[in-house]
Amino acid sequence: MTRFCRILSVCLALGAAAHCAGGTISLLNVSYDPTREFYSEVNAAFSKEWKARTGDDLKIGISNGGSAKQARDVIAGSEADVVTLALAWDIDALHEHGQLLPADWQQRLPNNSCPYTSTIVFLTRHDGKIKVKDWEDLIRPGISVVAPNPKTSGGARWIYLAAYGDALKKNHGDAAAARRFVEQLYHNIPVMDEGARGSVTTFTQREIGDVLISWENEAWLVMEKIGRGRFDIIYPPRSILAEPPVAVVDKYAKAHGTEAVAEAYLRFLYTPAGQELAAKHHFRPELDAVARQHAADFPPMELFTLREVFGSWKEAQKIHFDEGGIFDQISRSRR
Amino acid sequence: MNPASVPHSPLRAAPVPLPEQPLAKWLLIAVAVLFSAVFLLLPLVNVFYQAFSSGWALYWKALSEPDTGSAIRLTLLVAGISVPLNAAFGLAASWAIAKFDFRGKTLLLTLLDLPFSISPVVAGLLFVLLFGAGGLMAPWLEAHHLKIIFAIPGMVLATIFVTFPYVARELIPVMQTQGREQEEAALTLGAGGWRTFWHVTLPSIKWGLFYGIVLCNARAMGEFGAVFVVSGHIAGQTDTLPLRVEKLYYEFDPAAPFAVATLLALLAVATVVLKAFLEWKSRRET
Amino acid sequence: MSIELKNVTKRYGQVTAVEDISFAVTEGELLALLGPSGSGKTTVLRLIAGLETPASGGIFIRGLQVNGVPVQKRNIGFIFQNYALFKNMTAFDNIAFGLKIKHWGRQRVVERVGELAALLELESLLQRFPHQLSGGQRQRIAIARALAPGPDVLLLDEPFAAVDAQIRQELRQWLVRLHQDLKVTAIFVTHDQEEAMEVADRIVVFSKGRLEQIGTPREVYETPRNEFVARFVGVMNVLELEVRASVARCQELEFPAHGLADGQKLRIGFRPYAVQVSGDPAALRYPAVLRRTYFLGIMLRLEIETPGGLVIRSRMSKEDYSRLDLADGRPISFQIRAYRVLSKEGDPLANEVAATHQMPPSLGEGI
Repeated sequence: MTRFCRILSVCLALGAAAHCAGGTISLLNVSYDPTREFYSEVNAAFSKEWKARTGDDLKIGISNGGSAKQARDVIAGSEADVVTLALAWDIDALHEHGQLLPADWQQRLPNNSCPYTSTIVFLTRHDGKIKVKDWEDLIRPGISVVAPNPKTSGGARWIYLAAYGDALKKNHGDAAAARRFVEQLYHNIPVMDEGARGSVTTFTQREIGDVLISWENEAWLVMEKIGRGRFDIIYPPRSILAEPPVAVVDKYAKAHGTEAVAEAYLRFLYTPAGQELAAKHHFRPELDAVARQHAADFPPMELFTLREVFGSWKEAQKIHFDEGGIFDQISRSRR
Repeated sequence: MNPASVPHSPLRAAPVPLPEQPLAKWLLIAVAVLFSAVFLLLPLVNVFYQAFSSGWALYWKALSEPDTGSAIRLTLLVAGISVPLNAAFGLAASWAIAKFDFRGKTLLLTLLDLPFSISPVVAGLLFVLLFGAGGLMAPWLEAHHLKIIFAIPGMVLATIFVTFPYVARELIPVMQTQGREQEEAALTLGAGGWRTFWHVTLPSIKWGLFYGIVLCNARAMGEFGAVFVVSGHIAGQTDTLPLRVEKLYYEFDPAAPFAVATLLALLAVATVVLKAFLEWKSRRET
Repeated sequence: MSIELKNVTKRYGQVTAVEDISFAVTEGELLALLGPSGSGKTTVLRLIAGLETPASGGIFIRGLQVNGVPVQKRNIGFIFQNYALFKNMTAFDNIAFGLKIKHWGRQRVVERVGELAALLELESLLQRFPHQLSGGQRQRIAIARALAPGPDVLLLDEPFAAVDAQIRQELRQWLVRLHQDLKVTAIFVTHDQEEAMEVADRIVVFSKGRLEQIGTPREVYETPRNEFVARFVGVMNVLELEVRASVARCQELEFPAHGLADGQKLRIGFRPYAVQVSGDPAALRYPAVLRRTYFLGIMLRLEIETPGGLVIRSRMSKEDYSRLDLADGRPISFQIRAYRVLSKEGDPLANEVAATHQMPPSLGEGI
């Protein structure tokens, strides 16, 4: 029995050791799905810089998942020092449901706390059987579209809002027409994955669907990882400017004593080095100098913001995604 | 019939063959073989095929990645804590259930089956609701600076929960067929409770116990759902092997997820082989 | 050593397994606890061993109450129905188990096991495991194991139930001899009245958790205290009679019933040896046909059937059988020489034993 106790205590000690990572400073970044490759490079670069600057070893953990789910986990106690999520609404939730950071968190960093932006594009199969150029091509009968579920995925909400906003603009602000458009669009989506990454896998590995609606950076990742010969990226003439924000989670960072390093980490994203990495991973850089350098990678297109079309996340959420909102209504009409 | 001369396995009683019915027999065998080939063997072979499709070098590279290494270590740690605890608990519970009559025995048996009937994801959520921020235990945990959920203790707890019944479920029938006579014999010969347990009870159930531990371990190492919910999904810190496989699969790596999956597949094969060995051993010794 | 039970009761939940049992065992005695299954005899044995605790009453060993003494401290040898050998140990280790607990030295253990192995003819089997042994061999190892630490009393639970008939016979003789040689007090449980009669000095008969009678085999057989004992110990023919005109009848069989009212029902019983048979169909009172003869060694059991269809069992020696020139299917005649009244309808002492009535030889004329 004593032997068993000893073994158990050793195991527990090992577990504890694994968690504190042996005395170095550790930082946890809870992020959304498509950022794994980007942040693993950022983490390495920033750790190096931090070591040079302060002499401290810094170990940065990265957790990826659906944006809304990640926010829920943080509220439930996943002690992130920083969050880098798909949309501001999910970070607002950290304030609203957990008082983990102040309401004005978005004012604390430049560009509404968005060090990089992105947009929503299409990915088609290279065989050229299906040709799409613009949003209205997606509602043609017989076309099968893949996109994640707006109820669970942040990227999916950007997708929905991009489609709705474009239709609104084309119909000169006719909300009924825009609603008809998204209804027809979602009729053409046979499977909705929980997260953006899941949809990419559905489209590329399981080979379901003719068109994938996706984050711009995800689409490029597919091109790079799976092969340019198999898919084409289609930029619609108009799409939404997706603004994935970042924030220090004050409550946890304070408890861990990592406020300074957490803020430095986020500010690093705005530096030329950070911006270069963002551009490399096909996030649109916020810094003009870097953006100009990579202009060729980001074809010009008309981008509208959430604010100008939908006002705020709160309103968008209430009208479109809340229980009984437009998305629920059109989902019900699908059956 | 003379009951003492009937050979019986402590694990499973030998089946009585039905009268020969050639057509039905071969049809049933064909269905069983085909079914297991398509649904069991084929995916297993495919895992290895995919893992090695890009060559040995990439296979080793995938396995020697630091995050995969830490996933292996974490998996071993979680199993290393939860399996001994469940073995000890299973032993106690099966002993109580098989050898004593007490009030609430049915309740204990029902509770024992709970992890089988609850979805692992729900089990994980139960722990989040209990230990997560705003949960029942949150104020106490916070006051003592203890972190359970989204950390290793939570993953151990979730694993203990889902692997809870394996040892007990395996041992109860073994202990029931053993009866109490051998232990009573030891008592009449002057042996104390502890000595009876080590010299009489434990040796006679050891193969059943090992078998339960093997199953418990396989499930502990392979558990996905419950651990998924309570894991913080921090690469290199709170990813077990199954979580690592899932992550790699979503990173568009053609071979890496399968390479890591081969470890789990090997665990499964080892479990099956061990199981067969233990059954053979226990049959031989009866 | 002397053992005494005083008003012992044992319950399992709502079920009373043993109720208000009192009896005493004298030093060196070989006692049988006899009864059908569920009669409480095994429970009594386990109570003496300390494997069960009584709900009330006292158990005394050599005058000392042992209710609170744990089984390990009672110095008893217990032999289980299914041997309960330790299957992970060799025969040697099984026998040596109790000795090792007593911290005997290696040399003494080897000597003691050798001694018992010689006594029970187990020398060549000591290195075998239980699963490599026959039923009889296992039983002898169980006996050796129980005897090894030198118990004050040997308790045997249905010791021969699980072995073949032939080995059972051998083992019974073993037990009698062992008991004589070792002069150890022994109590054994059996449901086989023949076994109890053959082996035991005295028999305790149980039924439904109650003690029905205690006595020597002869006492129990010849003067059973009630119908249960009478029927359970030995074979008995039982008839249901109804009184009409001072004669109690069951079909053509008639018994005197002076002073009993018409319509009164009563049960009588008679042993097979009390049924006299003749090969001449007219020689004795009742005609019948010999249906079937069973050979039980030197004695034979006869099943005879009256014209009315009553089947009655009789018993005789082989010599008598051939002298009377009997064969299955032959017409015969018979009469009943002795019987006892088992119970009368409405009699509160229904199980009370009545005196044996000798049948008047001139019965036929009497009625």
